[in-house]
Amino acid sequence: MAEYVDAGHAVDWASLSGVVGSAPPAVQNVTYERILRARSEPQNWLTYYGAYDGQRYSPLEQINTENVRRLSPAWVFQCGPAGLEAGASTYAFEAAPIVVDGVMYVTGWDGWVWALDARTGQELWRHKHATPFDTSLCCGNVNRGVAVAKGKVFMVSPNAHVLALDAVTGKSVWDKTNGDVRAGESATVAPLIVKNLVIVGSSGGEFGVRGHLDAFDLETGEHAWRTYTVPKPGEPGSETWPADGEAWARGGGNPWITCTYDPDLNLLYFGTGNPAPDFDGEVRPGDNLYTDSVIAVNPDNGEMRWHYQHNPHDLWDYDSISENILFDLDGRKLMGHFNKNGYAYVLDRTDGALVRVFPFVDRITWGEVDPNGKVTPKVYPEKEGDPVHFYPGPGGGKEWTHAAYSPKTQLFYVPVQDVGATATRRRREFKESIPYWGAGVAVDSENMAGSVSAFDPATGQEAWRWRNEVPMCASVLATGGDLVFAGEPSGEFNAFNARTGELLWQFQCGSGHHSSPTTYSVGGRQYVAVPSGWGGWIEGFAPGMLAGTRGAALFAFALPE
Amino acid sequence: MATPTGERAAMLSKLGLDRQNGATLGRLLANGNVGQAEEGPDGRMRATIRIRPDELIWDPSVLVLPHGGDLDLELLNDDLNTHCALLPSNGDSQFIWLVNHSRGTASLNLDGPGYYWFGSPTGNDEGRGLTGAIVVLGEVPPEARLDRPAQPRP
Repeated sequence: MAEYVDAGHAVDWASLSGVVGSAPPAVQNVTYERILRARSEPQNWLTYYGAYDGQRYSPLEQINTENVRRLSPAWVFQCGPAGLEAGASTYAFEAAPIVVDGVMYVTGWDGWVWALDARTGQELWRHKHATPFDTSLCCGNVNRGVAVAKGKVFMVSPNAHVLALDAVTGKSVWDKTNGDVRAGESATVAPLIVKNLVIVGSSGGEFGVRGHLDAFDLETGEHAWRTYTVPKPGEPGSETWPADGEAWARGGGNPWITCTYDPDLNLLYFGTGNPAPDFDGEVRPGDNLYTDSVIAVNPDNGEMRWHYQHNPHDLWDYDSISENILFDLDGRKLMGHFNKNGYAYVLDRTDGALVRVFPFVDRITWGEVDPNGKVTPKVYPEKEGDPVHFYPGPGGGKEWTHAAYSPKTQLFYVPVQDVGATATRRRREFKESIPYWGAGVAVDSENMAGSVSAFDPATGQEAWRWRNEVPMCASVLATGGDLVFAGEPSGEFNAFNARTGELLWQFQCGSGHHSSPTTYSVGGRQYVAVPSGWGGWIEGFAPGMLAGTRGAALFAFALPE
Repeated sequence: MATPTGERAAMLSKLGLDRQNGATLGRLLANGNVGQAEEGPDGRMRATIRIRPDELIWDPSVLVLPHGGDLDLELLNDDLNTHCALLPSNGDSQFIWLVNHSRGTASLNLDGPGYYWFGSPTGNDEGRGLTGAIVVLGEVPPEARLDRPAQPRP
């Protein structure tokens, strides 16, 4: 028998590409102090929302209402995969690109993260965390982005690891397991850096886990604290769960979206997810704290300072995970939040007191919230096997995709989903890792609508609305050029006049938008970056677009040179 | 009608599902032998995977690791055609060409628990049968588990 030919040793897949292999040390000097003042360096998008306040507003104004019609693609980064990936039919490109001094850091799905030249789109390095094909992913194989600081890039993986990578090479610095995939936990959140900590939330509420937020030392990965969003028996809030049994242990409440932060009050504002099982409330009588709430948390120790629960004893899957956008009005420290239940809330962020609540979507039939925040349920899955139809469906009047607030116009800009659903209660036994919904749910694939709507938080009045035939399911970006950017499920990326809602510019990206566009500048040229890759939990928020074309591209737009 | 587990191999053979160009054009995925990695005293694991002549299947096509960690893999192409391997590993997937009658190696790092696909991304090797699975057994570390009583599993 002939000797084997020596095939050598396997190499990195990326070595067989044009990837450069390293990036400039742009992140080396990104500190907490710089992130505190992120809006003072508008050439960069230093943190998930652009700044701790969550406004998704950039003062950049080179691209404005007068010239936006000349906006054109400057480059495109394509990132289609090789081989089989988890949730192959449900992946989505959801991230918010982070940019530091000309280097962009963006995650994909399935454990991908890339460093790109923000001027040319050239791939500088890539990192792929291997993801088990059978990871429980309730709502798609997705990830919403990175955090950067002190020479490192931080991200979570679908199998619930928290990773720190060298920002120059993309190589692993530390790797901590932060969730139990055998229990159905996963991770999708973009981390937030506060002081010396990397702060993340967990995913998996549809599998009957117990939600938690965690902090890790950014240098070493040492675990600093964990706060559960559902109390154990005897802890504050436990009186809102059944005294007997283990409903609390399966209670959900996952904080799966990045928090905002007020450094003066030293408070993180986390939205929490739905209770589990989503639609069968009889097995969990009580208000089910701290699900469907905003919780104010001390970042130094994870201690909860106050909470406001939007949906006590939720029966419609109305997570409150949506961002809490910090703004000041008439000298008062406030926050704005657009809940899945179709109502917008303005709270005093010092103590959680309700200032104003108003509807932001046309069709709300599940119940009502009065001006004092009192919730009156009307339609919900009550009897076993009895279908009920309600608006908004479980995708919500607005899901995780983010609103924006312009301090220039003092308006909120909201991606609105107007879609109903039918839920039929079906009780089931709890088993770890098996979906725990307690109902069969079919979201309407017809008779749907959407909009980008502008609201005045001082009055709750709608300032303008741009109507769409299908729900709007992508984050909004507001800029100093008096522009509002938002993508459509059918692939169009739009620019609107922030004061009137007039559609000023549009580009067809080839796949729907379910991501968070950001803006930055390099060498004095402003760019708008948007990942395009339709997917995720489409059957929940826009089933009429379930077969929309898939994609995997990041577009950067700029004015002609 | 369902087939009892004990009769599965016989049924696959009877229907021609256990070979190339029998019932199907290629070979059903991950439908070959199952093997287990060996663990050394240092905790590193090692295993060998072959490509059998004219079978277009990894042997084993399901490789089971006792836990997450580092795996030293030997890859033998006993086939009379050229193939390759794209293998999952933390940091980046690992790739190797495997010309006819060749031997190569790969070093993988995997978390688990769960399973990962690997394949030969050339032509339609992956569809013909050269798609295999690496299964990682075990639980997540104790510090990553939820603070709650033990819960029932399926």
